[in-house]
Amino acid sequence: MLAQLIKHYLITSAKVDPAKFDQPDIKVADLGLDSLGLIEMLFEVEDKFGFQIADPMRYQSMTFDAMVADIESQVRAHHNGELPDIAAFDSPAGAR
Amino acid sequence: MTSVLATGLGMISPLGADCKTSFAAALAGQSAIRRASAELSAGLPDLLMAPAAAEPLPLLESGYAGSDRAAQFALAAAQEAMADAGISQAPADAGRFGVFVGVGFGGAHTLDAMYARYCATLGGDENNRRRAAVVHPLSVPRMMANAPGALISLRYGLRGMGNTYSVACASSAIAAGEAMRAIRHGYLDAALVVGTEAMLTPGSMVAWNALRVMARVHAVDPAASCRPFDRARSGFVLGEGAAALVLESRVRAERRGARARAELAGYGASADAGHLTQPAQAGQAAAMRQALAQADMEPGQIQYVNAHGTATEVGDVVESQAIAEVFGSASRQLAVSSTKAVHGHLIGAAGALELALAIMALESGSIPPTAHLLDPDPRCTLDYVPLEARHGCRIEAVMSNSFAFGGSNACLIARRAEP
Repeated sequence: MLAQLIKHYLITSAKVDPAKFDQPDIKVADLGLDSLGLIEMLFEVEDKFGFQIADPMRYQSMTFDAMVADIESQVRAHHNGELPDIAAFDSPAGAR
Repeated sequence: MTSVLATGLGMISPLGADCKTSFAAALAGQSAIRRASAELSAGLPDLLMAPAAAEPLPLLESGYAGSDRAAQFALAAAQEAMADAGISQAPADAGRFGVFVGVGFGGAHTLDAMYARYCATLGGDENNRRRAAVVHPLSVPRMMANAPGALISLRYGLRGMGNTYSVACASSAIAAGEAMRAIRHGYLDAALVVGTEAMLTPGSMVAWNALRVMARVHAVDPAASCRPFDRARSGFVLGEGAAALVLESRVRAERRGARARAELAGYGASADAGHLTQPAQAGQAAAMRQALAQADMEPGQIQYVNAHGTATEVGDVVESQAIAEVFGSASRQLAVSSTKAVHGHLIGAAGALELALAIMALESGSIPPTAHLLDPDPRCTLDYVPLEARHGCRIEAVMSNSFAFGGSNACLIARRAEP
């Protein structure tokens, strides 16, 4: 679910070529995001799960899958071990 | 020193989505003023606004959706001005082409939305409360005052010196004057000047309302609520939008065969050092005299003044007296009008907008009226072109006044560009 959420954002908003995700070990650094682009991407997750992800620049050296796994562990750490259903979180007005 | 020509104009204003429609509405005295929507009024009755005639975003390339509304207006006005000047992306001399922006309060929409979300989330259900501190990572670069200038510089690849001037109601008049100076003094060959403002937000509206400078709603016709120089005036109406001018040295403009719409000939600026909000005749007169001296012109050579004319009790009287002092006997042949009666007060965008309207009056020989001026204040003794536009006028030069809270005064003079 998290991977889909992030991929959807990257393809539709950050204009990342969808074909890049065919590569199983694609690195975050190969997505073509600058540092601002990376934190905008993380905001998609932060906004939904209500916390700020620490130390974002370390993701640049990870694979996409490793980043998603790390983000998921952080989400769980903030939600009593659960990965909440994002549909249960409404987006407050003015979030964007 | 080289003369400075205005070769392109652009605007998105309460009167129209471009220069042509905005100027036509100003001439027709068609007011864009209306009651503020309930969402903007925070429960206060009888607030007014002059919203832009068009949304800026559909006029722009995609990708600016998250930018602050003030930046979107600025980009839209800049786009029209650059197209009008026939300048495409990244001119060859981009290092000698700067961006000068005037804005009173950049980022009002971004800031207001951020606080609205923060407060709503904090006060919301417990599950959501922790989200209050998670705000968009681009909040700061979106709300910073120089965001419009930065985006315009990026959009057109303009790399020359340039600045953002935040001088309340005089912001973009000062941006235009400083750009003119930079070209005259050889720091640049061209500049894109933009004035922009977008603060029709609940937070801004209650703050302006608290200052007691906003017009009361006219009992019969809300659109006629802003009445500069009229005995029944009660203040101004907040507007939004942007205006832009492309300025070039005569040499650059001639080299590329550009059409000059006017010469920007004089700029004066002064500070009152008197009061935080009240205007002073001496400071205003000093700015006008400087502009005349710089243009090497006598008062009698100006035919039209687009007044600051905010329709406040003190402001209109002081400006009238300052104009009378500077122009002396020449004030008897002078036409003075305040177009704020129809487009409201665009604060940071006001200087550029009103300069551009004055330049269109110079080009067309048609002077926009002071709308709703039925009963002139006896202390305001000039010819304010009441109610009806004046056509077929022989205009050689125009002046545009911008006097700001904080006591900053700016005056610009444009004249026919000699071939």
